[in-house]
Amino acid sequence: MLMPKKDKHRKQHRGRTKGVSKGRTEVTYGDFGIQALEPGWITARQIEAARIAMTRHIKRGGKVWINVFPDKPVTQKPAETRMGSGKGNPEHWVAVVKPGKVMFELTYHDEEIARGAIDRAIQKLPIKARFVSREEAF
Amino acid sequence: MSELQLSVETGRKGGTRPARRLRREGKIPAVVYGLDVDPIPIAIEWPALRAALTTDAGINALITLEIEGEDHLTLIKDLQRHPVRRDVIHVDFYRIRADQEIEVNIPIHLIGEALAVTRADGMVDQTMYELIILTKPGNVPDEIIVDITDLQLGESIKVADLPLPDGASAVADPDDSVAISLITRSTREAMARDLAAEAEAEAEEADEEAADADGDDSGDSED
Repeated sequence: MLMPKKDKHRKQHRGRTKGVSKGRTEVTYGDFGIQALEPGWITARQIEAARIAMTRHIKRGGKVWINVFPDKPVTQKPAETRMGSGKGNPEHWVAVVKPGKVMFELTYHDEEIARGAIDRAIQKLPIKARFVSREEAF
Repeated sequence: MSELQLSVETGRKGGTRPARRLRREGKIPAVVYGLDVDPIPIAIEWPALRAALTTDAGINALITLEIEGEDHLTLIKDLQRHPVRRDVIHVDFYRIRADQEIEVNIPIHLIGEALAVTRADGMVDQTMYELIILTKPGNVPDEIIVDITDLQLGESIKVADLPLPDGASAVADPDDSVAISLITRSTREAMARDLAAEAEAEAEEADEEAADADGDDSGDSED
């Protein structure tokens, strides 16, 4: 699973996710992509699940790019613990995503299979997302 | 290369809110610059701009803008879209001279299926989707089409292999790759997994056969 090699601070504030994505809003490397339509936190597990769903569907002869990286630690207090006594322990890592971000990209010679792979990957994500392709109509 | 004429409005106010008001009225805020003349903020009716963008030349169409009775030959330098809605929110027009060479981004389209590559579970990875070429405005191609049908595994298409119109030259290095045929790491891993599974299945089969043979022998001895 994806996670930073080292961190500057073990725990972070949650933050607010306002507005739309500033960059990575176009399909850059592949032919098709998954674009976020809502803000959200994507965990490292969800990124890995989406990647596996895509690579399993295309089987062979394609390439997948992951444009998001889970660099935000999320803490959790142990179960049945009284409130207080400081912030909980870092449990997992998430990528903060804003609407418009192309999170995954895919190259495959058959568009129908690529669509199937992307639909399966979208099912693994906690936010609304859509299929986008390099060629865009006006 | 098609040439189109558009009439535009000048004197639009700058800033986010006036731009949003314009978009609500069905107009697109834009700017015209180039040839060492001051930039002019303009507004264009979206249906007319859309018609100009949907010709065969696509975004590289030569567009003549009629600004206060004066014609300006332009090319679209930049086109901004909303990240989610994907509608056009702003356009940069670059003023050009018909007799002066310009740098233009031309889309590269790969056609055909490289059967030799796909049959070997490989893929054609296009690394360059646009090529900057230096040419006269009247000589700008709509697209560069490359046939990859005869591409073999391990081969690549370079900038030098691209068919360019006479009088046009590529700005990129001729040795730069446009597309590479390869077997990806994940495919190699999948192949290795399949081979291992096959070997395991064969080994199991051999074990079962050996066990059956032992069972038969012991059955005989009991009789």
